[in-house]
Parts: sequence; structure tokens; C-alpha cells
Amino acid sequence: MSDLIEVRNLKKYFSTPRGMLHAVDNVTFSIEKGKTIGVVGESGCGKSTLGKTLMRLHDPTSGEVLYNGEDIANMPIREFKQKYRSHIQMIFQDPYASLDPRMDVLQLVEEPIRVNNKKLSKAEVTAKAREMMELVGLAKRLEISYPHELDGGRRQRIGIARALSLSPEFIVCDEPVSALDVSIQAQILNLLQDLQKERGLTYMFITHDMSVVKHISDDIAVMYLGQMVEKCPSGEIFRNTIHPYSQALLSAIPIPSVHEKSERMILKGELTSPIDPKPCCRFAARCPYATDRCRAEEPVLREMKPGHQVACHYAEKFM
Amino acid sequence: MSETKESILKIKNLVIHYETDEEVVEAVNNISLDIGKGEVLGLVGETGAGKTTTALGIMGLLPDKVGHVVQGNIFLEGEDLLRKSNREMQKIRGKKISMIFQDPMTALNPVKTVGDQIAEVVLLHNHCSKAEALTRAQEMLAMVGIVPERYRDYPHQFSGGMKQRIVIAIALACEPDLLIADEPTTALDVTIQAQILDMMRKLQREHGTSMILITHDLGVVAEICDHCAVMYAGEIVEYGTLEQVFDRPKHPYTRALYQSIPSLDKDVERLHVIPGLVPDPSNLPPYCSFCERCGEKKGVCSKYDTSIVEVEPGHLAKCLMYSPSWKEAE
Repeated sequence: MSDLIEVRNLKKYFSTPRGMLHAVDNVTFSIEKGKTIGVVGESGCGKSTLGKTLMRLHDPTSGEVLYNGEDIANMPIREFKQKYRSHIQMIFQDPYASLDPRMDVLQLVEEPIRVNNKKLSKAEVTAKAREMMELVGLAKRLEISYPHELDGGRRQRIGIARALSLSPEFIVCDEPVSALDVSIQAQILNLLQDLQKERGLTYMFITHDMSVVKHISDDIAVMYLGQMVEKCPSGEIFRNTIHPYSQALLSAIPIPSVHEKSERMILKGELTSPIDPKPCCRFAARCPYATDRCRAEEPVLREMKPGHQVACHYAEKFM
Repeated sequence: MSETKESILKIKNLVIHYETDEEVVEAVNNISLDIGKGEVLGLVGETGAGKTTTALGIMGLLPDKVGHVVQGNIFLEGEDLLRKSNREMQKIRGKKISMIFQDPMTALNPVKTVGDQIAEVVLLHNHCSKAEALTRAQEMLAMVGIVPERYRDYPHQFSGGMKQRIVIAIALACEPDLLIADEPTTALDVTIQAQILDMMRKLQREHGTSMILITHDLGVVAEICDHCAVMYAGEIVEYGTLEQVFDRPKHPYTRALYQSIPSLDKDVERLHVIPGLVPDPSNLPPYCSFCERCGEKKGVCSKYDTSIVEVEPGHLAKCLMYSPSWKEAE
């Protein structure tokens, strides 16, 4: 199988009055065509910035993003928009904030089609938009509704229809179900999976919800303060978690059962500052196993088992 | 519900409507609840189920003019809260019942130090000096795991998890008998959520505070509650101990809710979906409000409504399948 996306040493820094904010710091990974990579982490770990950098909504500080072998991160933005914008699309977290409140549903779905295919006639655009609405399960009677009249699940379906209308190959889903109730969340997750199967889509699924990510992903990458600390096949992370942060993240999830009361590993403190981080393990300040080495030397992502990479000096100990 | 336990809060047939010029929203429809001393009740349901409205009703904080308690009683240790004047309610709020709101960022006053904000509650309910109140504020900060010396800091100097701790400190400053926590951890990351839940559990154990925890997360309920009430379209559709509701869910909605959560230990191809949407609370059907989305419905479901019945000792469910007319339909 071939990799659709290959990210190499990607960095995105933001300059702030207090120093350089390392939002994404030296991240390397690849996504196979037709597969889903789940990116998990707490707020502020850089997962959304990573998604936006792949989309070229941010220009990277350094590093490469190869799309079918061609570097899309460093090509002129005009060229990127012309050649790749329609291949790479994004679904946003808050479908309410990402939709123009003055457009009705049909107009909202038509907009990306019209903007990206200037040659299409008005009737063709409308026909294509209707096709998209049907695909994502939006009833025809909703065409003239406005976003504020719809519930969160339907609004998210509009977001999905807009992203799909350009027939993309790769979709960055940034917390697409976090704002939804569980019963609606299940509807949207199933829809995304069906569309993937039908159209061979490749997803990058950004979320903080471990159970959602496990359900939908083939591979999971755990991020902490801009860095990838563990990456492995999705089943593996729940059976053989290696990195202490991933372990803590998993044990923090409240399980909806009265019987499973596993010993909880409660982390002390909160995320440290991503501004000008010291060259050490970024998790060391909260890690219960941290040693002097962790506080002095930055661990690199190492392959511990086939397909299972971990950035921890003592990964062998936790295997 | 057993009558033997010593109850702190008793809600009887509570009905709350929001009335505007255009419509009447039936937010809470005839709910009854009994919360024992030292008990932690989880109130679960999706957006619009009426969880927060119930809480606001108890606190006497329904929006002016629009929100009305149409019917029912709310007894706090035998006294009917709905008969209290505003002035009397003010003495009860913060002292006997406290509430923690969902979003700690908006619940705090940005131009007052956190110490002052905690001291404010203490001063309001106790005869003490400003200095004594500030000492109490520092004790409270220490209790929720924040260095007491930071009482002079402003809310923006704290992180999200710490702000939520401060909100909890304010709520607990007068040692209320009942704490209502409305989605206290929803805005927080899981590792911070684990810290806050751990702290709430400890406080509950040490002080014996009774709690109503409002949440949409069944995992959080399993963490700290001992009873659970499931709400749907303004009604309690199921009530019981944690074991009863989690191990032997009796209402089709509760069962469907469990199936729609992606599981961490089991692999499923497709998630179970509850088809359709929550009914419009301004236009509820005269029959079972879950009927349209129910996978176990029969013809009778769209004919009558039913009341909540005891299906096993202490375990209540509101579904026609536990009524005689269900058998007749077979």
C-alpha cells in the first residue's frame, strides 16, 4: 500500500511576545491511502495546528508534507490552491461557527462547488449540491432552512457535505463530533465511515475523545506539547500502551460501567508552557517515572515493535 | 422509592414551562425525585432533556417572567422551597444549596481576586469580619488543591482546571448540605477531569455533602454517583441505583444510549444509532415522547402515555412495556 500523505519533520512555531511558541515540533508520520489516522491529545497539544498546517491554513516553519510524493507544504500558495485545495478538505469542530448564518442550506452546500468550478452553470451547481445533500442524509425540505434552525447533527452534516462536494481524497476532521450528543455522535461517525468505504477517503481524525478515536482510526498518534509521543495501530494502544502519558490519558477516561474500577493514574499539574521549551522530555514535569535523564535529554521517537513508535527514554521498561 | 431513607431533597410532580409570546416550552414534565442525605445522584440526558432547568428550578433561578413552575413541590429538609420569598431563597442559596455551573470561565468575576470572590459568599452568610472571611477563603483554596497564597490572584491567572476548582471552592465555602454540579467537567480535558472528579469524591466522603451531578457522560456518573436518573424530553424515564441502571437498564432509551457510545474494550464495526431527533419541547406528543425513536415500540405506544413504575425494588422506569396494556397488545 502506498502512503498518500507523508509528513517529515514538520514544525510550526508562532512568535509571541513571550517567545517562540512551539505548537507543532518536529512531527513525522505518514498516512496510507484509504486509512484513518487518529490524532489525540489534550487542548493545547498542537493537534489542530497540525491539521491546519497540512491544509496550508498555516505555513509551516520548516519540514515537508508530501502528498503523493510532491511537497505541498513549501509550494507557492497559489499553486497549492489550484492543484490541491480540492483534494484536501477539512471538517471543523463547531458547525455553527463555520457556517454563514445568512445562507440557507442549499446555498451553503453550493458555495464551495461554485467557487471551485467556475465553469459549471447555475443549474449544474444546484444539481451537484442536491446530490451532496442526499449523500450526507439531509432531507430536501431542509434546503431553505438556515443553520440556526437546525440541530448540531444536521449542521455537522452540512459541514461534511461542503467538504465532500469537491470530491477530496483527504479530509482533516477536527473534532467533528465533540459538540454533539452521543446519539447524534454515533450517526455522524457512521456516516463518516460509510463515506470512507464508498469513496476510498483518507482521514486525519483529530479528537480528545479516546473512545471515538479508537472506534474510527486505523492508527493512533498521541501528541503532547507539540510532539508525537506514541504512534501505533489503534488496537495496540489499548492493549499495549507504552508511553506513560498515553497510559495516564487512557486511565483518566471515565468508563460507563459499574464494575470496571481500574486503578487510576492521576497526573499532577497541567500542561507546561509550549513557549521556548527546554531540551528535555516535555512530559517530565508531570511524569511519575521521570529521572534526571528525562529532565536533561530529549527523547526521540523510536520503533519499539513493528509499527509501534514511542518517544520515551525508558520505553523498554514499560513494554 | 423507599421511604425509609432520610431525604434531603424531595421533588414532587414538578412541571416547569418556559412561556414566550409564541410558544410554551415544556421543559420539565412531572418529575419526582428523592435525594437521600449523603447521596450522589447523577442526572443524565442529552441536550434539551431538562436537566439544567430542573437544577435552576431547585435553586429558584429560573429566568424571570419566562420560566414558571407550573405545578409541584420542592422540599428541602421538609420546607417547600417554592413557597419561599426571594429574600429567603437568597439565604438558602450558597448556604444550604450551592450550584457549580458548567463553564468556569464565565462563572467567575474577572475584576475581583479569587480570594475576594470566595470571601464574598462567606461574608454574605456568616457574621464575621473581612479578615476572617479571607482566612476561610485561603482554607478553601488549600482544600481544592491551590496554593492559599494565590488568593490575591485574578481568574485569568489560573488555568481552566484551576478555575473550576475555584468555582467549587466558592460553592463549598459555606459547607452546603446539597451541591448541584451542572456539567462540572465538560469543558475540561480528561486528565484534568480525573483530578476534579477525584477531588469531588474526596470532598463528598469527608463532608458527607449530598450532590446532584448533571452530566451527559455516563462514564462520569459511573465514577462518583450512587444513584442515577435518566432524563428524556423533560421526564425521568429511568431511576435506580448505579448497578440497576447500568447493569439492568429497563428503558429502551437507556439501553440505546449505552449502545451508541463507542466502547474502549470491544470492537464494533458500526455504532448503534438512535434514529431521529429529540422531540421539540414546544410540541410534545400526547403519548410516549421517545416512541418515534424507539426500537422496541408497539402500536399502543403512540396511543397512551404512561407513568413511571417500579420494575424492581428501588428501580423505576417509564415505559408502556411494564404496564398491563403492553401484554394486551401482544
